Amino acid sequence: MSVPARFQSNDRWQQIKSKMGGWSLTTYGILAFAFLYLPILILVIFSFNDARSVSKWAGFTFDWYGKMFKDGQILLSIWNSLFLAIVSTIISTVLGTLAALGLERYRFRGKTAVDSMFYLPVIIPDIAMAIMLLLFFNMSGIGFTPWKVNFFGARLAVPYSVIIGHVAFNTSFVAIVVRARLAQMDRTLEEAASDLYANAWQTFRRVTLPMLMPGIVGGALLAFTLSLDDFVITFFTSGAGFNTLPVRVFGMIKKGVTPKINAVSTLMLAVSLTLVVISILLSRRSGDGDSVQMGF
Amino acid sequence: MTETYAVELQDVVKQFGNVVAVNHVSLQIRDGEFFSLLGPSGCGKTTTLRMIAGFEMPTSGAIYIQGDRQGYRPANKRPVNTVFQNYALFPHMTVAENIAFGMEMRKTPKDEVKRRVAEVLDMVRLGQMANRKPKQLSGGQQQRIALARALVNRPEVLLLDEPLGALDLKLRKAMQIELKALQEDVGITFIYVTHDQEEALTMSDRIAVMNNGVVHQVGDPETIYEHPADRFVADFIGETNFIPVKVVSLAPEIVVELGSGEKVTAGWVEEGLSVGDRAVLSIRPEKMDLLELNEKPSNPSKDTALVNGKVTQLVYVGTDTRHTVALGDGTEVVVRLQNIYIGEEPWEIGEDAIVTWNAAHARILKE
Repeated sequence: MSVPARFQSNDRWQQIKSKMGGWSLTTYGILAFAFLYLPILILVIFSFNDARSVSKWAGFTFDWYGKMFKDGQILLSIWNSLFLAIVSTIISTVLGTLAALGLERYRFRGKTAVDSMFYLPVIIPDIAMAIMLLLFFNMSGIGFTPWKVNFFGARLAVPYSVIIGHVAFNTSFVAIVVRARLAQMDRTLEEAASDLYANAWQTFRRVTLPMLMPGIVGGALLAFTLSLDDFVITFFTSGAGFNTLPVRVFGMIKKGVTPKINAVSTLMLAVSLTLVVISILLSRRSGDGDSVQMGF
Repeated sequence: MTETYAVELQDVVKQFGNVVAVNHVSLQIRDGEFFSLLGPSGCGKTTTLRMIAGFEMPTSGAIYIQGDRQGYRPANKRPVNTVFQNYALFPHMTVAENIAFGMEMRKTPKDEVKRRVAEVLDMVRLGQMANRKPKQLSGGQQQRIALARALVNRPEVLLLDEPLGALDLKLRKAMQIELKALQEDVGITFIYVTHDQEEALTMSDRIAVMNNGVVHQVGDPETIYEHPADRFVADFIGETNFIPVKVVSLAPEIVVELGSGEKVTAGWVEEGLSVGDRAVLSIRPEKMDLLELNEKPSNPSKDTALVNGKVTQLVYVGTDTRHTVALGDGTEVVVRLQNIYIGEEPWEIGEDAIVTWNAAHARILKE
């Protein structure tokens, strides 16, 4: 049986409409990607520019990377950034995981309040948090006392205030990521463990923790990345003379932009990207890692 | 000396907030018995099982396992193991690691663990799966691993929470037989939670029928089916007819009056009913027969009920045909007649008939 003509023409019109819809969507997609990634691409390209200019191409060179690694100030700031990220990640991963377990597994008075307080550092502006922390460090007398440490041969003086500041915001992110994983976890697995004679600690060690691992690793990588990239809170809580890489870059920009800054930024970009890829790969391997990708 | 039961519940109550999940339940489960807790969802059967396992603590009452009062003893210190509805296999461990878990927690020597894992895998015929992850197994295989993981610990009592619920019908039937054979083989007491009455009837030595947190009847499958203690049990287990009646006499014989005014005798009456009370006569469709009007016996025994009716519906279901018959007061009953008659004229819709049954099969229950 043939389809009546009016339906045929209608079909054709629908076809054209959906095709046009397809094209405009593709165009829109390309533009959106260009908007997001073109600046990054330009940044990376000009880090290889054989001139002081960051807008005129004059040939390819690795010079700026060489210069970057010879600049003592930059090197020190990289060590500072790494040390700060590692220490604050370890502390906030432990605290955040414990907080997630507590919030997900126990009922107590004021739980809702504590619960929403955990989201606060995630939603309030960095600047507000930075000022709060600064006031807190001044009033509490913690000040900017540095932790003097030899880190892979680099002599660092990292103010405790910066570490506490980073832990303060990272803990929330870790707690949120780990909680998402916990919420997905089947509670009967823990019951099964205790049914098979495991005490509370053995149940946690052998069942809960391994099941949570993708969430914990994801949270830790997120914390590491956030710590590495943070500018505002570091800037406000470090006092004079302590530079992380982002703070150092900010200082350099004030003296004029050279491709060296592009090189530094490209390096930071590469590290961040690597971390994201690692976290995605880890979550893939564990089978289901929707919770891990959260936040990136 | 009183008998020691595998599991004994004494007046156990479990409340969740204002909700009473289990309401004064007392049960005695014998050693080596296949005991089922049967009831619709929300009847308290799973909560009862979880209290025996130690995942929930009773609000009041006492639970004994092998004569040993459990009190607030946590699950990991109880001599029972559970097969969970969703199997709850540890996804990050291999099949062998899953099975070895319980023995490892009890510090069983390594070579013994290895031997027993191999043994139990053999028993459930999944020896070649030892190094797989649970996710790589089919539902039926996972089910058998869950069973193996529990049985390998040689528990005093095995608790099973609807273990076949997630399997398709054919596999479920096969597993029912396998489970029952296994239970007889290992001789361990099984407490089996199910909402599937056929499953319970097929597998159990005894069944406790539960509803709304209360145990309605405990008995072997035949007793539960043939002699239901009350209306809920009669209704929940198998198919049954409820005919509204009025109690006319209780002694020397039980006589009730149907809505049509016809009087019949019955074999049993539920406690608490007295003369003049409204009640229901419960009778299974396969216990009834239909007679042509001219077939009416001239001198029937007093145990034979003969009630006038009219055929209103016929449904052919293969092994038998379901005849719906309207009695004098309009009450419809279903009569199942096996399709074994050759050359006999089938019943037709609208035809007058006499419904007959033996009084011994009729039970008078509270409304």
